Amino acid sequence: MEALARLAGLDRALAEHREDVIAAFSQASAHRGVMHAPEDPAAEPWPPMQAGTNL
Amino acid sequence: MSDELHWLGAAEATRAFAARKLSPVELVKGLHARIDTLDPQLNVFIRRDDEAALAAARAAEAEIAAGRIRGPLHGVPVGIKDIIDVAGLPTTCHSRVMPGSNATADAACVARLRQAGAIVMGKLSTHEFAIGGPSHDLPFPPARNPWNRDHHPGGSSSGSGSGLAAGFFPLALGTDTGGSIRNPASACGIVGLKPTYGLVSRRGVFPLAFSLDHVGPMTRSVADNALLLDCLAGHDPADAGSAVAPRAYYAAGLERGVRGLRIGFVRHFHENDLIADPEVAATLDTVAKTFAAEGAEIREVRLPTLGEFAAVNRIILTSEAWSIHAPWLRSRPGDYGKLGRQRLMAGAFLQAGDLVAAQRRRAAMIAEVQTVLRDVDVLLCASSMDPASRIDDEAATARTYPRQARTPFNVTGHPALAMLAGVSSGGLPLSVQFAGRYFDEAMVLRVARAWERAAGTDKRHPPLG
Repeated sequence: MEALARLAGLDRALAEHREDVIAAFSQASAHRGVMHAPEDPAAEPWPPMQAGTNL
Repeated sequence: MSDELHWLGAAEATRAFAARKLSPVELVKGLHARIDTLDPQLNVFIRRDDEAALAAARAAEAEIAAGRIRGPLHGVPVGIKDIIDVAGLPTTCHSRVMPGSNATADAACVARLRQAGAIVMGKLSTHEFAIGGPSHDLPFPPARNPWNRDHHPGGSSSGSGSGLAAGFFPLALGTDTGGSIRNPASACGIVGLKPTYGLVSRRGVFPLAFSLDHVGPMTRSVADNALLLDCLAGHDPADAGSAVAPRAYYAAGLERGVRGLRIGFVRHFHENDLIADPEVAATLDTVAKTFAAEGAEIREVRLPTLGEFAAVNRIILTSEAWSIHAPWLRSRPGDYGKLGRQRLMAGAFLQAGDLVAAQRRRAAMIAEVQTVLRDVDVLLCASSMDPASRIDDEAATARTYPRQARTPFNVTGHPALAMLAGVSSGGLPLSVQFAGRYFDEAMVLRVARAWERAAGTDKRHPPLG
């Protein structure tokens, strides 16, 4: 957690609000754990890819 | 006309103005007096703009007397959530992070309301950046619930919900990224509509999460909600997410009732995914039985689980919000309140692959909801699973705030409305939610009006005196 926080530039938050950084890390982990990854490798994201004529 | 000025609706007020039974100046002065008396205990306003409101009321009075009606809201007061720009006033986002400089232009939604003749009363309390609250460590106190001031009013459009329920203004603007219009509508017993994604311009609104943010109408009655949406909806080429949708007149079919409609009841939201408070569950059954008695067909339907909707919503929301707040969270984390800091920093711990996976899952969830909406006209489901908790009980608030069924329609972008369904044994509002097909707000409002008419919900107000 600490390494990821430093990588994100949250050194000051780590020093001054460590418990909040830990809480944020826990929240992110919890969300990631509940979501089902799409089984179809070709499943596209939202919003749909819509290439126009002016790329 | 209502005997009490503060419960006058927008439509009622404009009729009274036209009939010379009331003037905009009388209405604004009456509301100012009520706000003077009650707002010190409710904290609805971050900033009142009394002088400008009175000047606008005087101008409206003269114009109406001369027969020059600017629009359908001429002379009607409106409150603005303080993440929405109003020219000449600071947009604080309820945070000490924001600079104190005044907005140089109205947000598109505010400009549309002024064009319709509405009078801006001031800027309203929110959660910090529409996510961190209810909090007591911010530069302004949190709004409180008029039904019981010891309880929270929901959020993040908390001042909008509380001020409507308290009779401070008949119309308000809110924003909704994970339920922030419908949560205060549920907690305060008013009507809050999150329109279809892209129907109302977000230009001039401080973003929380670009692909989930919605601006919408909050009112005390369904008719006023339709009227306000009529004024707000429309394409804005300056908002990248703005939709080009056919023009609709949302108030037109309100009284058509539910006979012959197919209503999909999403029971698993409150019976399996989360177990609702028994009074909430009983109230939802009452709504379904009432519609069945009026000739609607009630069908039980299944959508993805609330847990997964919430996770997809939060991964996208916190990733997008992190991209906005990262510079401030790195350099001045202490200027945020504790809840805002925790929730906004979560995005730092998600990876690019998490966001893309969530957006891929989102596309599949949209398809699943679209499939259900091919066979029914509207969805009926819970909004909040509990009445509002005490505002000083941090543990209860942390436990009950996520117990809701609003995030599905931020993830999918379908229109969804929350409103009063009943009052708990403890004297607090209980709520119901209706959701519909893309750009079919008219159907959602029609079903909401059928419930309002059957239950008389627009006549129920908190016991404030």
